[in-house]
This record gives sequence, C-alpha cells and structure tokens, in this order.
Amino acid sequence: MSERSLRAPRLPRVPAVPLAIGIGILIGGLLVLASGGDPIAAYREILIGALAPSNWPNTLNWAVPLVGMTLVAALPLRGGMVNLGGDGQLVIGGLAAAMAALYLPLPGPLLIAASILCAMVASGLYASLAAWGETRFGIPMLISTLLLSYPAIGIASYLVGFPLRDMATGLAQTRMIPDAARLPVISGPLNIGLILMAIVAVAVVFYDRRTVGGYELRMRGLNAKFAGYGSVRLAAQQVRVMFASGAIAGLVGAILVLGSLYRYQDGALLTPGYTWSGLMAALLAGGAPLGAICAGLFFAGLQTGGFAMQRETAIPRVLTMILQSVIILFLAIRHGVGRKSS
Amino acid sequence: MSTIELEARSIVKRYGPLVANDHIDLSVLSGEVHAVMGENGAGKSTLMSILYGMQAPDSGQIFLRGAEMRYRSALDAIGAGMGMVHQAFKLFNSLTVWENVVYGMEPTRFGFIDRREAARRVAALADRYRLQVDPNAVVGQLSVGVRQRVEILKALYRDARVLILDEPTAVLTPQERDGLFDIIRNLTADDRTILFVTHKLHEVMAITDRVTVLRDGKVVDRMVTSETSAREIIRAMTGRAVNLTVEKRPSEPGAVVLEARGLTVATDGGKPVVDRVDLAIRAGEIVGIAGVAGNGQTELIEALTGLRIPDGGKVAINGADVTALDVERHRDAGLAYIPEDRATTGTALAASAADNLAMGFQRKPPLSNGRLLDAGAVTAHAKKLIDRFGVKIGSEQLAVGTLSGGNLQKVVVARELSHAAPLLIAEQPTRGVDVGAIEFIHAQLVAERDRGGAVLLVSAELTEILALSDRVLVMFDGRILAELPAAEADEETLGLLMAGRVGEAHLSDGTEAA
Repeated sequence: MSERSLRAPRLPRVPAVPLAIGIGILIGGLLVLASGGDPIAAYREILIGALAPSNWPNTLNWAVPLVGMTLVAALPLRGGMVNLGGDGQLVIGGLAAAMAALYLPLPGPLLIAASILCAMVASGLYASLAAWGETRFGIPMLISTLLLSYPAIGIASYLVGFPLRDMATGLAQTRMIPDAARLPVISGPLNIGLILMAIVAVAVVFYDRRTVGGYELRMRGLNAKFAGYGSVRLAAQQVRVMFASGAIAGLVGAILVLGSLYRYQDGALLTPGYTWSGLMAALLAGGAPLGAICAGLFFAGLQTGGFAMQRETAIPRVLTMILQSVIILFLAIRHGVGRKSS
Repeated sequence: MSTIELEARSIVKRYGPLVANDHIDLSVLSGEVHAVMGENGAGKSTLMSILYGMQAPDSGQIFLRGAEMRYRSALDAIGAGMGMVHQAFKLFNSLTVWENVVYGMEPTRFGFIDRREAARRVAALADRYRLQVDPNAVVGQLSVGVRQRVEILKALYRDARVLILDEPTAVLTPQERDGLFDIIRNLTADDRTILFVTHKLHEVMAITDRVTVLRDGKVVDRMVTSETSAREIIRAMTGRAVNLTVEKRPSEPGAVVLEARGLTVATDGGKPVVDRVDLAIRAGEIVGIAGVAGNGQTELIEALTGLRIPDGGKVAINGADVTALDVERHRDAGLAYIPEDRATTGTALAASAADNLAMGFQRKPPLSNGRLLDAGAVTAHAKKLIDRFGVKIGSEQLAVGTLSGGNLQKVVVARELSHAAPLLIAEQPTRGVDVGAIEFIHAQLVAERDRGGAVLLVSAELTEILALSDRVLVMFDGRILAELPAAEADEETLGLLMAGRVGEAHLSDGTEAA
C-alpha cells in the first residue's frame, strides 16, 4: 500500500515522550559511566548550564535560531511534507541580509527591516523552488530540498571567499555591517531577534489553530487525498507553505547575521547544526507547532547545558547530541514510524 | 479427468480488521477451467496470492493432488507445479522472449548458458501449445497479447500443472482474447488445470467449466457453468438479500447539469478504460450507472470529478467547461461528490468529525470569513449535521476513524449533501453499509433529487440502481452500452446488458443500444 492516509502523523501519546527522554538520559548516563565520568555531575552541569537564572540569556539566545529552524521543519511537516533544505535556506537568508545591510542606502531601522525582508523573500523563493519542482515535474521534495542546499552553500561560500570578501582579514567573510543595521540589544547576548522569533512562533501556532490555511494544511497532513478531493488546492498550498517555511529560515539567517555575527561568515551559520536539531524537534512533536516549539526549547536547553558541562567537567558536549538522537530513535520505535503496513 | 487437482480448505487471511478471505473452500478438478469470480475487493487476489505461495494464510490448508502444501514462498509453489500470470506482467522488456522464459532455469553447457538449446526448447514449447511467439524477439517490442503468451510460456517451461490467470483479458483486444481462449483449450486438452480469475461474465460463460463466486471474502456460490446463467452469477456476485424499495414520485427533469462528450480515459498501451462516453444528467433526476465493477466506472467518475484529467472529450457542469480543471473548480461549478472509498478519499480518519464535516465549507461563511475559521461555527455545523443525519458518535471532536462503516459513510453523505450543490455524484454510496443506513442514504438521495438536484449514481448493486434511478445507463467494457428508462429496467435485462449481451436483452424502442 502506497497510501499514506492510514499512517497519518499522530501526536506522541503522553507517556511516550517522557519515556523516550528517560531512556535517553539513562543511555547517556551509562555512556558517561563507561568512559569513566560521573553521570550525576554531568547532568547537574547540564541543568545548571541551561536553567540557572544567570544562564537564561545564553539558553534563550541559542533557542532563537533553533526554535526558528524547528518551525521551518514543523510547518511543512504539519502537511505531511518534508523540508530538508534548511541549511541552504539559512545560508541564503544570512547572505541576503548581509548584502542588503552592506549595500542598501537606507537609514537605521529601515535598513534593518529591509535586510530582514530581503532575507525572508530570498529564502522563501528558494524553498518554494523545490515545491514547484514537485508540483510541476514530480521531483520529490524530500530529495530536492536537500540537494538544493548544496549549490546555495557552495555559491555563498564562493561569493564571500572572492567577490564579497573582506580584504582586511584572511577569512572568507564579508565586511562588518554598519552599526545602523545591527539588531538592537535587549541585554547581554539577547537582541530583538528574540522578540521577532517569539512573534513568528505565536503566528505559526495561531495559523495552525485558527486559520483556514492551517486547517487545510492539517487535513493534508492527515490525508492528502482527502484534502485534494475536498477542495484544497494541493499544488498552490505546497508552494505557499514552502515559501513560508523558507522565509522563516531566512529570518533565522538574518537574525544571526544582523544580531550576533555582524557579517556573513562562511560556515558560521551551519556549524551549530540548527537545521538538524530543529528537524529533530519538529519530528519529536509530529509537526504540531506548539509541541515543536517546546521540543526546540528543550533541545536548546540541552545544548547550552552541554557547553556548560564541557567547560565544567571533562565530558564532551557530544553527549547532549547523543541524548537528542536516542530520544528521537526511541520515539520512532514507539510510533512504528516507517513500519510496513500489514 | 475428475480427480481433484487443487484444493483449499478454510483459508483465512486478515489485514488488520479486514477479513480478506473468510474460511474459503475451493476445489479445482484436474483438467478443468475453473473461474473465480467476484467484484473488486471480494478477496480473489488475496486467495490467488495464497495459492501461489506469495502470502501465507492465517489459517487453512492447501492440497495439491492430495498432498498438503506449505509454501515458504512462491518458489515452493512453482516447484510444486503452480504457475501464475499476473495482471501486470513480470517480464524484462529489454531481454528476448527466450531469455525471459528460461530466466532462473537456464540450460547450461560448460557452465555457460546454452543459448541455442534454450531458444530451441522455448520454440518447441510454443509450438506444442500453439503459442505463436518468436523466441528471439525482444519483449519490449511485442504487443500486450504476445507478452501474455510469454508469461504463459514461462509457467509452462517450469512445467506448471495448475495455471492461475489473474484478470487475463483486462488488457486484451477481442481478437487477442479469442487467441487466449484457444490457448486455454490446448492447455486443458493436455490435462493442465486453469484457475481463471475475472469479473467478466461472458468470458466465464464462454470458457469455464465451473465457477466459484466470492463476495466480501466468503464463497457465496459454486456453480457448474453449463447449468447456470449470467444472471445467476451476477446475482451471486453483487446481490444482497435485502430488497429495499424507495417511495418516489416520477421525476421532472429540468436543464442539463452535467454533460460529457466523447470522454475517454486511456491506459498505458492498452485499450481505453473509458471509451468515448457521452452522457447528460438533468436537474431533478437520478441517473444510475449499472455495471459489474471494473468496467470503467471508477475511471469515468474520476474524469468527471477532476480527480483525473481525461485523455479525450469534454466535461461541463452547468455549462462551464471543467474538463481539465482540478476538483476544487469542479466543486465551484456545482459538484458534490460521495466517493467510492470513504476511508481513503472521503474522510481523514485521524481527524475529528468536526474537521471532516467542515471540508469544503472552510472558506465560506458561516464557518470562516475566508481567512479565519470560526471554531464555534465549525462545531455548530458539525453538531447540526451529526444530528440531522443521525451519525452515532460521542462527540464531534472525536476522530472518525473509530466509526462503523455505515456511520462513516453518513459523515461523507452528510457533508456532501449539505453543500446543496446542483450536481451530486454518488459512487457506491451504500457499499459495506448496514441495512438501516442504506435505507436512510437512499431516502436522502431521493430528497436531493426532489430538491432539484441532478444525481449521478454509480453502483454495482442492481437493487440500488433499480430502486433509485429514473434512467439507467449500463456500462460495459468502458462504454455506455445502453440507456433505458427506469420502467424498462429489470434485473434480467440489466443482468444481460451488464454481461455485454446486447442481443439477448429485450430492448424496446425507447431504449438505445450503443
């Protein structure tokens, strides 16, 4: 049976998520123990690093791009579609923001707004290219989103390595953007990117729950054939949703460039792996936006805690990535994701 | 000649809650052509895949010439003397006929394939059963009928004593079909046994010795072909014990609402499944399309509703050309549609009843202002329909996946009828539905007509067609074979027409035979 209808993504049943997290913590603890560390100390440092009030700004700052990329994955997933192209869309957004900030002759707040807008439109268009390819030519988006990332990353890398390179440094990066284009700081590492992302998160949840588009997307996710039969224009919807998904990735890129890096730097947006953590968080919640946001925050806490643990103990922060993976794997087992229908 | 070649005892196969084969007994005599008949979904394919070792039954036994068989895979079945020609051929198109035939059992010489010997053996085999095939031809360049002969050769090369032919004529032209029948006669003359899976009556009457009829996974009848009639077989295949009559006034047809001209749906390489169909459905009438399932009704409806773009012809709803448009624009033009399959098309099982009932209404007041849904209105809409159509469900917020077939169908019918669209296409509206729900749905369809709606009813249930239709179209082999007013449609005439036997049906002047 090729029908997906019966395999509709369900929200994790209540006990499944805590169970998976528990198993993840257990296996992680055993790994620490096996490598001669103290699991209690490791987890204590993770908790302190993530949740001690003095560390909140760090955790939140890490959560902004991660939750953003979670929404990038969750939005299409809600409709049964997969966007694996977050990396490419992130890079395009970051580069577009940097170029707009460097070259547009606009005053302060306008420059910021224009840069963000450029980033969102560029990434949105790039993501909808994959949707168009599927609706028009039948190229599966699962493949095309992933493959389209590589030229984006490669071209961005070339551009900042050669034509746009800051000659004053030896690195592949653009010049610093003007002060006027930098996102206003709230406190410490936090800037108004936090507020922008919070607005987007609320908007996505609202869209999902209250709008016609959100209803149609949910129905598509539960049974695409039903949605098509029932009057949803699947092709147009796919392009729209992918545009929105890409635009959020563009916003994340813009926030990182305008808010913390102040320039586009080759590789800097991708090294932290926001796209894949976000995808895992979205999968954890089965695409449900509110759940995905919570999962994104959880992973952000885990990762910032991981940095703290690495500083305070001899245990590398890779442990937190293992925790993430184990949790997802156990959820997948519980739900029989990919199990052959009998 | 009358020893039992193949016997199946009490075969049971379940797919989740669905019982595809429910204690099926089948016994096939050696040297006979035995038809296994039934509509789509009756369990024929499941039974064949079990007999051929592709699937293991949940319980039950298979005997071949008296010995119990336990197949681990189809290879065991082939080794025991079973052969099967699948509906979709399993051939290497880029290889030659003999390469396809000997594949896996190649004659060798010094460890290499003995090409000359292989070709010679294939030619000899073809000659023996008068299968006209050039062993050196490339399969991809052969016609469908010849490819089928290659499949038969493959089975004979492995010395199949029992040959399963799964819908063998579905892709053949009449001439190719006659050729196949000659081959079948040659095979049985050699004391080989044929299991002939089909839902085409005239073929069963023409070529088979005995018939086993399946319905809903059970054997409903066993007959000797020469002692039965097409009508009896049809009744066994489609008939239900219930015979519901519906109170209705004579129809008062108005303007044409749905019109199709020359509508054609092609298949890859084969003959069209829908072949130049013309029809016109008027406001205030119910037009029934009768036919044994699989004669193109499903594809016709797909082409009429926008689920499939037709390969030829035109479709207009209320005068608007919607031929190449998607479902939504068909709906905008005035279509409401009860699909054949309520579980995969008609509903989203994991979604709530409220969400299911809102589909199609979500962009219009009162459910929304086009952008924002009014949750209260969605709930009220659902409650109203659940109440009006008597859907038995605890709350409109519950997922519909747990509902019984009849209740789930009521959800679909409720939603589509509440559109009050000018045109309603109802496809198998009461299949697998309990008697009470059938009665209710029938009454709703008549009410829809009396309201002035044009209703196109597709059903394999003769009783349903006869009870509801003001006019009956008989579909056979992709074409509208005949059109007759309800007064002249009786079970016998329809039965003969559904079997494609126009000449024997007594058609009066008011009736057109195409």
